Amino acid sequence: MMNVPTEHILTLSALLFATGVLGFLIRRNVIIVLASIELMLNAANLTFLAASRHWSQTHLAADGVNIMQGPIFSLFVILVAAAEAAVGLALVIAFYRLKQTVALDALTELKD
Amino acid sequence: MADTLFYILAAGTLACGMGVVTARMPLFSVLSLLGSLFCLSAIYLLSGFQFLAATQLLVYAGAIMVLFLFVIMLLNLGDEAELQGHLGFSLSGKKGLIAGATALSLGLVGVVGAGYSTPFVANPAYERGVDDLNALATVLFSRYALPFEAASLLLLATMIGVITLAKRQRTTDAGAHPQSAPPSTDGETAA
Repeated sequence: MMNVPTEHILTLSALLFATGVLGFLIRRNVIIVLASIELMLNAANLTFLAASRHWSQTHLAADGVNIMQGPIFSLFVILVAAAEAAVGLALVIAFYRLKQTVALDALTELKD
Repeated sequence: MADTLFYILAAGTLACGMGVVTARMPLFSVLSLLGSLFCLSAIYLLSGFQFLAATQLLVYAGAIMVLFLFVIMLLNLGDEAELQGHLGFSLSGKKGLIAGATALSLGLVGVVGAGYSTPFVANPAYERGVDDLNALATVLFSRYALPFEAASLLLLATMIGVITLAKRQRTTDAGAHPQSAPPSTDGETAA
């Protein structure tokens, strides 16, 4: 096991989340936007696990903190991500059937 | 040794993440996401989360990535250049400014946070991994039993929703939006 300080893992998580936000905002291909959302969910997962690892340290572990919460929350996040990907990609297929494109700019159904 | 490996994997994760955002073709974007997920799984393993690393590989790299690739190949999405504008970026004006500022400030928070690095003291009790499967299952099936059952409901609802979305074309689409539907009829709707 590694001895990297928790702050460095959290930094990686923040940078990964920022990358996901950037992709979510500047791309107009629906599939790449969904991939960016997966990046953000993974960053959140990494944060949960870093916190769990942090509280498992020798001088912190005694005071009733349940370090299993991190892995369990991560498990639920992975589950929700799977459901989200399934619904999102089904929507992409329905969208493509309707418009013959995957450009987000074409989604103006609610505006008109 | 393991520390160096972590920094290499972190660099790989971020490089692949940038690949997701900047790739020209959706296929390369998704493959880059796969690389990012692999690096993250290795980081989980190094942090002492063996079960989560395996789950990450099975669910993300296995199931979700296959779903993404399947949709890309089903829709025959090749080059993105046919989208209006170059490269499919919509980085323009106020929106691009907001995007850049958000990402930059988030990243800066992380870099500033890296300045405060308290040393990590590993607990010998967790020498064989933090998420021991026995302890994890004990907590999951006692304290988190209700969320666990709710998760199964969520999956059921997702399944029904996806089936509904996938087969709604013949009945509702043709009649509901006659003016907005594209002129290309594929024979199924006509029949």
